[in-house]
Amino acid sequence: MNVWLDAILILVVILGLFIVSSIRLGTMIKIFGVQSMILGLVPFLMYAKDMEFYIILVSLAAIVLRGFIMPYFLFWAIRHVSERSEASQVIGTGATILLSGLSVVGSFLLASKLVFPVPISSDLVIPSSFSLIIMGFLLLVGRTKAISQVVGYLVLENGIFLFAILLLKKMPLLVEMGILLDLFIAAVVMGIVVSHISDEFNNMDTIQLSTLKD
Amino acid sequence: MNVILLLHITVLFVFPPFLLGFIGKTKAFFAGRIGPPLLQPYFDLYKLMRKASVYSLTANWIFKAAPMVSTAAILAAGILMPIASLKPPVQFWGDIILFVYLFAFARFVIVLAALDTGSSFEGMGASREATFGCLSEITLFLNLTILALLSRSLSLSGIFPGGLSSSWSLVGPVLILVVVSLFLILLVENSRIPIDDPDTHLELTMIHEVMVLDHSGVDLAYIFYGKAVKLFIFGSMVVSLIFTFKTHNLWIDTFFFILEMIGLAVLIGIVESTMARLRLNKVPYLLFSALMFSIIGFIIILARTI
Repeated sequence: MNVWLDAILILVVILGLFIVSSIRLGTMIKIFGVQSMILGLVPFLMYAKDMEFYIILVSLAAIVLRGFIMPYFLFWAIRHVSERSEASQVIGTGATILLSGLSVVGSFLLASKLVFPVPISSDLVIPSSFSLIIMGFLLLVGRTKAISQVVGYLVLENGIFLFAILLLKKMPLLVEMGILLDLFIAAVVMGIVVSHISDEFNNMDTIQLSTLKD
Repeated sequence: MNVILLLHITVLFVFPPFLLGFIGKTKAFFAGRIGPPLLQPYFDLYKLMRKASVYSLTANWIFKAAPMVSTAAILAAGILMPIASLKPPVQFWGDIILFVYLFAFARFVIVLAALDTGSSFEGMGASREATFGCLSEITLFLNLTILALLSRSLSLSGIFPGGLSSSWSLVGPVLILVVVSLFLILLVENSRIPIDDPDTHLELTMIHEVMVLDHSGVDLAYIFYGKAVKLFIFGSMVVSLIFTFKTHNLWIDTFFFILEMIGLAVLIGIVESTMARLRLNKVPYLLFSALMFSIIGFIIILARTI
Protein backbone atom coordinates (compact mmCIF):
# COMPACT_ATOMS: atom_id res chain seq x y z
CA MET A 1 0.00 0.00 0.00
CA ASN A 2 2.84 2.34 0.87
CA VAL A 3 4.35 1.68 -2.55
CA TRP A 4 1.09 2.81 -4.14
CA LEU A 5 1.12 6.01 -2.08
CA ASP A 6 4.74 6.61 -3.17
CA ALA A 7 3.81 5.96 -6.78
CA ILE A 8 0.94 8.44 -6.61
CA LEU A 9 3.08 11.12 -4.98
CA ILE A 10 5.86 10.71 -7.54
CA LEU A 11 3.28 10.80 -10.33
CA VAL A 12 1.87 14.03 -8.91
CA VAL A 13 5.31 15.65 -8.86
CA ILE A 14 6.05 14.44 -12.41
CA LEU A 15 2.72 15.85 -13.59
CA GLY A 16 3.66 19.13 -11.91
CA LEU A 17 6.87 19.04 -13.93
CA PHE A 18 4.82 18.54 -17.10
CA ILE A 19 2.57 21.48 -16.25
CA VAL A 20 5.59 23.68 -15.66
CA SER A 21 7.24 22.60 -18.90
CA SER A 22 4.22 22.83 -21.20
CA ILE A 23 3.45 25.99 -23.09
CA ARG A 24 -0.05 25.28 -24.37
CA LEU A 25 -2.72 26.51 -21.98
CA GLY A 26 -5.12 23.65 -22.82
CA THR A 27 -2.48 21.02 -22.04
CA MET A 28 -1.60 22.74 -18.78
CA ILE A 29 -5.23 22.75 -17.66
CA LYS A 30 -5.79 19.12 -18.66
CA ILE A 31 -2.70 17.92 -16.83
CA PHE A 32 -3.73 20.02 -13.83
CA GLY A 33 -7.12 18.24 -13.82
CA VAL A 34 -5.47 14.82 -13.92
CA GLN A 35 -3.04 15.84 -11.18
CA SER A 36 -5.85 17.02 -8.92
CA MET A 37 -7.84 13.84 -9.44
CA ILE A 38 -4.80 11.75 -8.54
CA LEU A 39 -4.20 13.97 -5.50
CA GLY A 40 -7.77 13.34 -4.43
CA LEU A 41 -6.88 9.65 -4.08
CA VAL A 42 -4.15 10.37 -1.53
CA PRO A 43 -6.45 10.54 1.55
CA PHE A 44 -7.96 7.16 0.61
CA LEU A 45 -4.52 5.57 0.58
CA MET A 46 -3.18 7.45 3.57
CA TYR A 47 -6.11 6.70 5.87
CA ALA A 48 -7.03 3.31 4.39
CA LYS A 49 -6.94 1.62 7.81
CA ASP A 50 -9.26 4.00 9.68
CA MET A 51 -11.50 5.42 7.00
CA GLU A 52 -14.18 7.83 8.13
CA PHE A 53 -17.03 9.56 6.41
CA TYR A 54 -15.56 13.06 6.41
CA ILE A 55 -12.32 11.83 4.82
CA ILE A 56 -14.30 10.45 1.89
CA LEU A 57 -16.15 13.75 1.75
CA VAL A 58 -12.95 15.80 1.63
CA SER A 59 -11.45 13.59 -1.07
CA LEU A 60 -14.58 13.67 -3.18
CA ALA A 61 -14.84 17.45 -2.78
CA ALA A 62 -11.23 17.83 -3.88
CA ILE A 63 -11.64 15.47 -6.85
CA VAL A 64 -14.86 17.04 -8.13
CA LEU A 65 -13.87 20.64 -7.48
CA ARG A 66 -10.27 20.58 -8.71
CA GLY A 67 -10.48 17.72 -11.15
CA PHE A 68 -13.63 18.74 -13.00
CA ILE A 69 -15.09 22.12 -12.09
CA MET A 70 -11.87 24.15 -12.11
CA PRO A 71 -10.62 22.78 -15.47
CA TYR A 72 -14.10 23.37 -16.92
CA PHE A 73 -14.02 26.95 -15.68
CA LEU A 74 -10.50 27.48 -17.02
CA PHE A 75 -11.42 26.07 -20.43
CA TRP A 76 -14.36 28.45 -20.44
CA ALA A 77 -11.92 31.29 -19.68
CA ILE A 78 -9.64 30.20 -22.56
CA ARG A 79 -12.56 30.19 -24.97
CA HIS A 80 -13.71 33.54 -23.62
CA VAL A 81 -10.42 35.29 -24.25
CA SER A 82 -9.38 32.99 -27.14
CA GLU A 83 -5.84 32.40 -25.97
CA ARG A 84 -4.06 29.19 -26.89
CA SER A 85 -0.48 29.31 -25.76
CA GLU A 86 1.99 31.17 -23.64
CA ALA A 87 3.82 33.38 -26.11
CA SER A 88 6.28 35.23 -23.92
CA GLN A 89 7.69 33.56 -20.85
CA VAL A 90 9.87 35.41 -18.39
CA ILE A 91 11.75 32.20 -17.57
CA GLY A 92 12.41 29.87 -20.52
CA THR A 93 11.16 26.30 -20.69
CA GLY A 94 14.53 24.63 -20.15
CA ALA A 95 15.36 26.87 -17.20
CA THR A 96 11.92 26.22 -15.70
CA ILE A 97 12.39 22.44 -15.91
CA LEU A 98 15.83 22.66 -14.30
CA LEU A 99 14.55 25.03 -11.59
CA SER A 100 11.68 22.71 -10.73
CA GLY A 101 14.15 19.83 -10.53
CA LEU A 102 16.20 21.91 -8.12
CA SER A 103 13.00 22.66 -6.21
CA VAL A 104 12.44 18.93 -5.73
CA VAL A 105 15.97 18.58 -4.36
CA GLY A 106 15.44 21.62 -2.12
CA SER A 107 12.15 20.28 -0.81
CA PHE A 108 13.78 17.04 0.23
CA LEU A 109 16.50 18.96 2.05
CA LEU A 110 13.90 21.17 3.72
CA ALA A 111 11.66 18.25 4.66
CA SER A 112 14.55 16.39 6.26
CA LYS A 113 14.97 19.35 8.65
CA LEU A 114 11.32 19.46 9.70
CA VAL A 115 9.92 17.48 12.59
CA PHE A 116 6.24 16.74 12.16
CA PRO A 117 4.12 16.18 15.29
CA VAL A 118 1.85 13.45 13.90
CA PRO A 119 3.24 10.22 12.39
CA ILE A 120 3.38 10.36 8.57
CA SER A 121 2.55 7.34 6.46
CA SER A 122 5.10 8.17 3.77
CA ASP A 123 8.24 10.28 3.89
CA LEU A 124 7.48 11.58 0.41
CA VAL A 125 4.35 13.55 1.36
CA ILE A 126 6.03 16.68 2.70
CA PRO A 127 8.75 16.93 0.00
CA SER A 128 6.24 16.51 -2.80
CA SER A 129 3.90 19.10 -1.29
CA PHE A 130 6.81 21.55 -1.02
CA SER A 131 7.88 20.91 -4.59
CA LEU A 132 4.32 21.45 -5.84
CA ILE A 133 4.21 24.75 -3.95
CA ILE A 134 7.52 25.88 -5.49
CA MET A 135 6.41 24.78 -8.97
CA GLY A 136 3.26 26.85 -8.50
CA PHE A 137 5.41 29.83 -7.57
CA LEU A 138 7.59 29.23 -10.63
CA LEU A 139 4.50 29.37 -12.83
CA LEU A 140 3.27 32.51 -11.09
CA VAL A 141 6.62 34.23 -11.56
CA GLY A 142 7.71 32.84 -14.88
CA ARG A 143 4.57 33.21 -16.98
CA THR A 144 2.93 36.35 -18.23
CA LYS A 145 -0.50 35.14 -19.32
CA ALA A 146 -3.13 35.41 -16.61
CA ILE A 147 -4.47 31.90 -17.29
CA SER A 148 -1.10 30.25 -16.73
CA GLN A 149 -0.78 32.25 -13.53
CA VAL A 150 -4.16 30.91 -12.42
CA VAL A 151 -2.93 27.38 -13.14
CA GLY A 152 0.22 28.20 -11.18
CA TYR A 153 -1.89 29.37 -8.26
CA LEU A 154 -3.93 26.16 -8.42
CA VAL A 155 -0.81 23.97 -8.52
CA LEU A 156 0.37 25.86 -5.44
CA GLU A 157 -3.02 25.15 -3.86
CA ASN A 158 -2.59 21.47 -4.70
CA GLY A 159 0.66 21.50 -2.78
CA ILE A 160 -1.01 23.11 0.21
CA PHE A 161 -3.84 20.56 -0.02
CA LEU A 162 -1.32 17.73 0.02
CA PHE A 163 0.24 19.20 3.15
CA ALA A 164 -3.18 19.72 4.72
CA ILE A 165 -4.10 16.06 4.21
CA LEU A 166 -1.57 15.28 6.94
CA LEU A 167 -3.65 17.35 9.36
CA LEU A 168 -6.93 15.81 8.21
CA LYS A 169 -7.37 13.78 11.41
CA LYS A 170 -6.65 16.68 13.74
CA MET A 171 -8.77 19.39 12.20
CA PRO A 172 -10.87 18.04 9.35
CA LEU A 173 -13.30 20.92 9.05
CA LEU A 174 -10.51 23.50 8.82
CA VAL A 175 -8.88 21.59 5.97
CA GLU A 176 -12.17 21.27 4.16
CA MET A 177 -12.96 24.95 4.58
CA GLY A 178 -9.46 25.82 3.43
CA ILE A 179 -9.89 23.84 0.22
CA LEU A 180 -13.21 25.40 -0.67
CA LEU A 181 -12.40 28.94 0.36
CA ASP A 182 -9.00 29.15 -1.32
CA LEU A 183 -10.32 27.72 -4.51
CA PHE A 184 -13.26 30.03 -4.78
CA ILE A 185 -11.21 33.08 -3.95
CA ALA A 186 -8.75 32.01 -6.63
CA ALA A 187 -11.47 31.37 -9.15
CA VAL A 188 -13.38 34.56 -8.53
CA VAL A 189 -10.40 36.88 -8.26
CA MET A 190 -8.63 35.42 -11.25
CA GLY A 191 -11.84 35.30 -13.26
CA ILE A 192 -12.38 38.99 -12.68
CA VAL A 193 -8.73 39.77 -13.44
CA VAL A 194 -8.70 37.70 -16.62
CA SER A 195 -11.85 39.16 -18.06
CA HIS A 196 -10.87 42.71 -17.11
CA ILE A 197 -7.43 42.44 -18.62
CA SER A 198 -8.82 41.00 -21.80
CA ASP A 199 -11.54 43.65 -21.99
CA GLU A 200 -9.06 46.47 -21.55
CA PHE A 201 -6.17 45.31 -23.68
CA ASN A 202 -7.61 42.61 -25.95
CA ASN A 203 -5.17 40.09 -24.51
CA MET A 204 -4.27 38.59 -21.17
CA ASP A 205 -0.68 39.66 -20.85
CA THR A 206 -0.15 40.74 -17.25
CA ILE A 207 3.06 42.54 -18.19
CA GLN A 208 0.86 45.32 -19.49
CA LEU A 209 -0.51 45.90 -15.99
CA SER A 210 2.85 47.18 -14.83
CA THR A 211 2.88 49.89 -17.46
CA LEU A 212 -0.41 51.40 -16.21
CA LYS A 213 -0.30 55.06 -15.20
CA ASP A 214 -2.93 57.08 -13.43
CA MET B 1 31.53 -21.59 -18.13
CA ASN B 2 32.62 -21.74 -21.75
CA VAL B 3 29.05 -22.31 -22.89
CA ILE B 4 27.95 -19.19 -21.02
CA LEU B 5 30.75 -17.18 -22.57
CA LEU B 6 30.03 -18.43 -26.07
CA LEU B 7 26.30 -17.85 -25.74
CA HIS B 8 26.87 -14.32 -24.41
CA ILE B 9 29.24 -13.42 -27.24
CA THR B 10 27.01 -15.01 -29.87
CA VAL B 11 23.88 -13.18 -28.75
CA LEU B 12 25.81 -9.91 -28.45
CA PHE B 13 27.46 -10.15 -31.86
CA VAL B 14 24.75 -11.77 -33.96
CA PHE B 15 21.40 -10.65 -32.60
CA PRO B 16 21.54 -6.78 -32.68
CA PRO B 17 20.74 -6.12 -36.39
CA PHE B 18 17.67 -8.32 -35.94
CA LEU B 19 16.22 -5.63 -33.63
CA LEU B 20 16.45 -3.08 -36.45
CA GLY B 21 14.59 -5.55 -38.65
CA PHE B 22 11.79 -5.77 -36.09
CA ILE B 23 11.60 -1.99 -35.73
CA GLY B 24 11.36 -1.72 -39.52
CA LYS B 25 8.63 -4.38 -39.66
CA THR B 26 6.58 -2.61 -36.96
CA LYS B 27 6.85 0.72 -38.72
CA ALA B 28 5.86 -0.91 -42.01
CA PHE B 29 2.85 -2.53 -40.30
CA PHE B 30 1.68 0.86 -39.01
CA ALA B 31 2.13 2.37 -42.46
CA GLY B 32 0.09 -0.46 -44.02
CA ARG B 33 3.02 -1.87 -45.96
CA ILE B 34 4.65 -5.29 -45.92
CA GLY B 35 8.05 -3.80 -45.25
CA PRO B 36 11.56 -5.17 -45.74
CA PRO B 37 12.26 -8.71 -44.51
CA LEU B 38 13.40 -9.17 -40.92
CA LEU B 39 16.88 -10.05 -42.11
CA GLN B 40 17.23 -6.89 -44.19
CA PRO B 41 19.83 -5.30 -41.81
CA TYR B 42 22.05 -8.35 -42.34
CA PHE B 43 21.65 -8.03 -46.10
CA ASP B 44 22.54 -4.35 -45.84
CA LEU B 45 25.62 -5.17 -43.81
CA TYR B 46 26.65 -7.82 -46.36
CA LYS B 47 26.12 -5.37 -49.21
CA LEU B 48 28.16 -2.66 -47.50
CA MET B 49 30.95 -5.11 -46.62
CA ARG B 50 31.50 -5.94 -50.30
CA LYS B 51 31.78 -2.30 -51.34
CA ALA B 52 34.94 -0.25 -51.49
CA SER B 53 35.32 2.91 -49.40
CA VAL B 54 35.64 6.38 -50.85
CA TYR B 55 37.71 8.86 -48.85
CA SER B 56 37.70 12.63 -48.98
CA LEU B 57 41.01 14.25 -49.94
CA THR B 58 41.21 16.17 -46.67
CA ALA B 59 40.58 13.11 -44.49
CA ASN B 60 43.51 11.42 -42.78
CA TRP B 61 43.89 8.25 -40.72
CA ILE B 62 41.47 9.41 -37.99
CA PHE B 63 38.63 9.27 -40.46
CA LYS B 64 39.59 5.76 -41.53
CA ALA B 65 40.14 4.44 -38.00
CA ALA B 66 37.06 5.98 -36.34
CA PRO B 67 34.38 3.47 -37.49
CA MET B 68 36.42 0.50 -36.35
CA VAL B 69 37.43 2.10 -33.06
CA SER B 70 33.91 3.20 -32.17
CA THR B 71 32.43 -0.21 -33.01
CA ALA B 72 35.15 -1.89 -30.98
CA ALA B 73 34.41 0.41 -28.02
CA ILE B 74 30.69 -0.37 -28.21
CA LEU B 75 31.37 -4.11 -28.40
CA ALA B 76 33.70 -3.80 -25.41
CA ALA B 77 30.90 -2.12 -23.48
CA GLY B 78 28.65 -5.01 -24.51
CA ILE B 79 31.12 -7.50 -23.06
CA LEU B 80 30.70 -5.82 -19.65
CA MET B 81 26.91 -6.08 -19.84
CA PRO B 82 25.18 -9.18 -18.49
CA ILE B 83 22.60 -10.61 -20.89
CA ALA B 84 19.67 -12.58 -19.44
CA SER B 85 21.22 -14.67 -16.65
CA LEU B 86 24.53 -14.99 -18.50
CA LYS B 87 27.46 -13.61 -16.57
CA PRO B 88 29.47 -11.18 -18.70
CA PRO B 89 32.92 -12.34 -19.88
CA VAL B 90 34.58 -9.37 -18.18
CA GLN B 91 33.52 -7.99 -14.82
CA PHE B 92 35.23 -6.05 -12.06
CA TRP B 93 34.41 -3.62 -9.28
CA GLY B 94 33.43 -0.25 -10.75
CA ASP B 95 32.95 -1.34 -14.35
CA ILE B 96 29.84 0.87 -14.71
CA ILE B 97 32.18 3.84 -15.10
CA LEU B 98 34.12 2.11 -17.87
CA PHE B 99 30.78 1.10 -19.42
CA VAL B 100 29.54 4.70 -19.66
CA TYR B 101 32.86 6.06 -20.86
CA LEU B 102 33.25 3.42 -23.57
CA PHE B 103 30.06 4.85 -25.10
CA ALA B 104 31.43 8.36 -24.64
CA PHE B 105 34.66 7.26 -26.35
CA ALA B 106 32.75 5.73 -29.26
CA ARG B 107 30.88 9.01 -29.69
CA PHE B 108 34.10 11.01 -29.39
CA VAL B 109 35.91 9.22 -32.21
CA ILE B 110 32.87 9.49 -34.51
CA VAL B 111 32.68 13.22 -33.76
CA LEU B 112 36.41 13.53 -34.51
CA ALA B 113 35.97 11.69 -37.79
CA ALA B 114 33.08 13.98 -38.71
CA LEU B 115 35.24 17.02 -38.06
CA ASP B 116 38.08 15.42 -40.01
CA THR B 117 36.16 15.38 -43.28
CA GLY B 118 36.54 19.15 -43.48
CA SER B 119 32.89 19.61 -44.40
CA SER B 120 31.07 22.20 -42.30
CA PHE B 121 27.90 20.17 -42.72
CA GLU B 122 29.34 17.25 -40.80
CA GLY B 123 30.75 19.62 -38.22
CA MET B 124 27.18 20.78 -37.58
CA GLY B 125 26.07 17.20 -36.97
CA ALA B 126 29.07 16.65 -34.71
CA SER B 127 28.16 19.71 -32.67
CA ARG B 128 24.59 18.48 -32.23
CA GLU B 129 25.71 15.00 -31.26
CA ALA B 130 28.16 16.38 -28.71
CA THR B 131 25.51 18.70 -27.21
CA PHE B 132 22.91 15.99 -26.75
CA GLY B 133 25.58 13.52 -25.74
CA CYS B 134 26.69 15.51 -22.72
CA LEU B 135 23.08 15.77 -21.53
CA SER B 136 22.34 12.08 -21.98
CA GLU B 137 25.60 10.93 -20.41
CA ILE B 138 24.88 12.60 -17.06
CA THR B 139 21.40 11.07 -17.06
CA LEU B 140 22.78 7.62 -17.81
CA PHE B 141 25.28 8.05 -14.98
CA LEU B 142 22.62 9.15 -12.49
CA ASN B 143 20.44 6.17 -13.42
CA LEU B 144 23.33 3.76 -12.98
CA THR B 145 24.11 5.42 -9.64
CA ILE B 146 20.53 4.81 -8.48
CA LEU B 147 20.78 1.17 -9.51
CA ALA B 148 24.17 0.82 -7.86
CA LEU B 149 22.80 2.28 -4.62
CA LEU B 150 19.82 -0.09 -4.74
CA SER B 151 21.76 -3.24 -5.49
CA ARG B 152 24.77 -2.26 -3.36
CA SER B 153 27.09 -3.16 -6.20
CA LEU B 154 29.31 -1.06 -8.44
CA SER B 155 29.52 -3.71 -11.13
CA LEU B 156 27.05 -4.23 -13.95
CA SER B 157 26.98 -7.96 -13.28
CA GLY B 158 25.93 -7.23 -9.70
CA ILE B 159 23.19 -4.83 -10.76
CA PHE B 160 21.46 -6.51 -13.62
CA PRO B 161 20.85 -10.23 -13.33
CA GLY B 162 19.40 -10.38 -9.83
CA GLY B 163 20.52 -7.43 -7.74
CA LEU B 164 17.24 -5.60 -8.14
CA SER B 165 14.67 -8.37 -7.76
CA SER B 166 13.77 -7.34 -4.21
CA SER B 167 13.78 -3.61 -5.00
CA TRP B 168 10.58 -3.65 -7.06
CA SER B 169 8.36 -4.26 -4.05
CA LEU B 170 10.19 -1.65 -1.95
CA VAL B 171 10.93 1.22 -4.31
CA GLY B 172 8.96 0.24 -7.39
CA PRO B 173 7.98 3.83 -8.25
CA VAL B 174 11.62 4.90 -8.34
CA LEU B 175 12.48 1.99 -10.61
CA ILE B 176 9.66 3.04 -12.93
CA LEU B 177 11.24 6.50 -13.08
CA VAL B 178 14.58 4.91 -13.91
CA VAL B 179 13.02 2.74 -16.63
CA VAL B 180 11.27 5.72 -18.24
CA SER B 181 14.45 7.78 -18.04
CA LEU B 182 16.56 4.97 -19.51
CA PHE B 183 14.04 4.47 -22.32
CA LEU B 184 14.27 8.17 -23.22
CA ILE B 185 18.06 7.92 -23.12
CA LEU B 186 17.83 4.86 -25.39
CA LEU B 187 15.85 6.91 -27.91
CA VAL B 188 18.35 9.77 -27.72
CA GLU B 189 21.52 7.70 -27.85
CA ASN B 190 20.37 5.62 -30.77
CA SER B 191 18.89 8.59 -32.63
CA ARG B 192 15.39 7.14 -32.82
CA ILE B 193 12.40 9.17 -33.87
CA PRO B 194 11.26 11.73 -31.30
CA ILE B 195 14.84 13.02 -31.35
CA ASP B 196 16.30 12.13 -34.70
CA ASP B 197 14.96 10.27 -37.70
CA PRO B 198 17.32 7.49 -38.76
CA ASP B 199 15.74 7.34 -42.22
CA THR B 200 15.79 10.94 -43.36
CA HIS B 201 18.59 12.77 -45.08
CA LEU B 202 17.29 16.29 -44.55
CA GLU B 203 20.03 18.62 -43.48
CA LEU B 204 17.90 20.56 -41.02
CA THR B 205 16.90 17.60 -38.91
CA MET B 206 19.67 15.04 -38.84
CA ILE B 207 21.94 14.49 -35.90
CA HIS B 208 23.68 11.16 -36.16
CA GLU B 209 23.14 10.60 -39.86
CA VAL B 210 24.80 13.84 -40.87
CA MET B 211 28.01 12.85 -39.11
CA VAL B 212 28.41 9.61 -40.98
CA LEU B 213 27.45 10.99 -44.38
CA ASP B 214 30.99 10.76 -45.75
CA HIS B 215 31.56 7.20 -44.66
CA SER B 216 31.02 4.51 -47.24
CA GLY B 217 31.51 0.80 -47.81
CA VAL B 218 33.03 -1.17 -44.97
CA ASP B 219 33.31 1.93 -42.76
CA LEU B 220 29.58 2.54 -43.03
CA ALA B 221 28.95 -1.13 -42.30
CA TYR B 222 30.97 -0.79 -39.08
CA ILE B 223 29.01 2.28 -38.02
CA PHE B 224 25.69 0.66 -38.89
CA TYR B 225 26.60 -2.47 -36.96
CA GLY B 226 27.92 -0.46 -34.00
CA LYS B 227 24.65 1.45 -33.81
CA ALA B 228 22.69 -1.81 -33.78
CA VAL B 229 24.85 -3.18 -30.96
CA LYS B 230 24.40 0.08 -29.02
CA LEU B 231 20.64 -0.20 -29.35
CA PHE B 232 20.88 -3.81 -28.18
CA ILE B 233 22.93 -2.91 -25.09
CA PHE B 234 20.67 -0.03 -24.05
CA GLY B 235 17.63 -2.18 -24.74
CA SER B 236 19.03 -5.01 -22.65
CA MET B 237 19.49 -2.54 -19.78
CA VAL B 238 15.83 -1.53 -19.93
CA VAL B 239 14.65 -5.12 -20.36
CA SER B 240 16.70 -6.55 -17.50
CA LEU B 241 15.37 -3.79 -15.25
CA ILE B 242 11.75 -4.64 -16.01
CA PHE B 243 11.96 -8.43 -16.05
CA THR B 244 13.92 -9.42 -12.98
CA PHE B 245 12.45 -12.91 -12.75
CA LYS B 246 14.85 -15.60 -13.88
CA THR B 247 14.40 -19.36 -14.16
CA HIS B 248 18.19 -19.94 -13.84
CA ASN B 249 18.08 -22.24 -16.83
CA LEU B 250 20.56 -20.86 -19.33
CA TRP B 251 18.66 -21.58 -22.53
CA ILE B 252 15.18 -20.70 -21.30
CA ASP B 253 16.42 -17.41 -19.85
CA THR B 254 18.20 -16.48 -23.05
CA PHE B 255 15.16 -17.40 -25.09
CA PHE B 256 12.88 -15.23 -22.96
CA PHE B 257 15.44 -12.43 -23.01
CA ILE B 258 15.41 -12.44 -26.82
CA LEU B 259 11.60 -12.42 -26.78
CA GLU B 260 11.67 -9.42 -24.41
CA MET B 261 14.14 -7.61 -26.64
CA ILE B 262 11.86 -8.20 -29.62
CA GLY B 263 9.00 -6.79 -27.54
CA LEU B 264 11.12 -3.71 -26.84
CA ALA B 265 11.92 -3.36 -30.56
CA VAL B 266 8.19 -3.48 -31.32
CA LEU B 267 7.62 -0.83 -28.64
CA ILE B 268 10.27 1.41 -30.22
CA GLY B 269 8.60 0.84 -33.58
CA ILE B 270 5.23 1.85 -32.11
CA VAL B 271 6.76 5.01 -30.60
CA GLU B 272 8.35 5.83 -33.94
CA SER B 273 5.13 5.29 -35.86
CA THR B 274 2.85 7.24 -33.53
CA MET B 275 5.06 10.20 -32.68
CA ALA B 276 6.34 13.01 -34.84
CA ARG B 277 9.96 14.02 -34.63
CA LEU B 278 10.54 16.85 -32.17
CA ARG B 279 11.80 20.17 -33.40
CA LEU B 280 15.52 20.35 -32.82
CA ASN B 281 15.30 23.10 -30.22
CA LYS B 282 12.75 21.04 -28.25
CA VAL B 283 15.08 18.03 -27.92
CA PRO B 284 16.97 19.44 -24.89
CA TYR B 285 13.63 19.70 -23.04
CA LEU B 286 13.10 15.98 -23.51
CA LEU B 287 16.61 15.35 -22.25
CA PHE B 288 15.98 17.69 -19.32
CA SER B 289 12.87 15.73 -18.40
CA ALA B 290 14.80 12.47 -18.58
CA LEU B 291 17.39 14.07 -16.31
CA MET B 292 14.69 15.29 -13.92
CA PHE B 293 13.18 11.79 -13.74
CA SER B 294 16.51 10.38 -12.64
CA ILE B 295 17.22 13.29 -10.27
CA ILE B 296 13.89 12.77 -8.52
CA GLY B 297 14.57 9.05 -8.30
CA PHE B 298 18.09 9.68 -7.03
CA ILE B 299 16.90 12.08 -4.33
CA ILE B 300 14.25 9.64 -3.12
CA ILE B 301 16.78 6.80 -2.95
CA LEU B 302 19.22 9.04 -1.09
CA ALA B 303 16.52 10.07 1.40
CA ARG B 304 15.54 6.44 1.93
CA THR B 305 18.90 4.77 2.22
CA ILE B 306 20.98 7.34 4.07
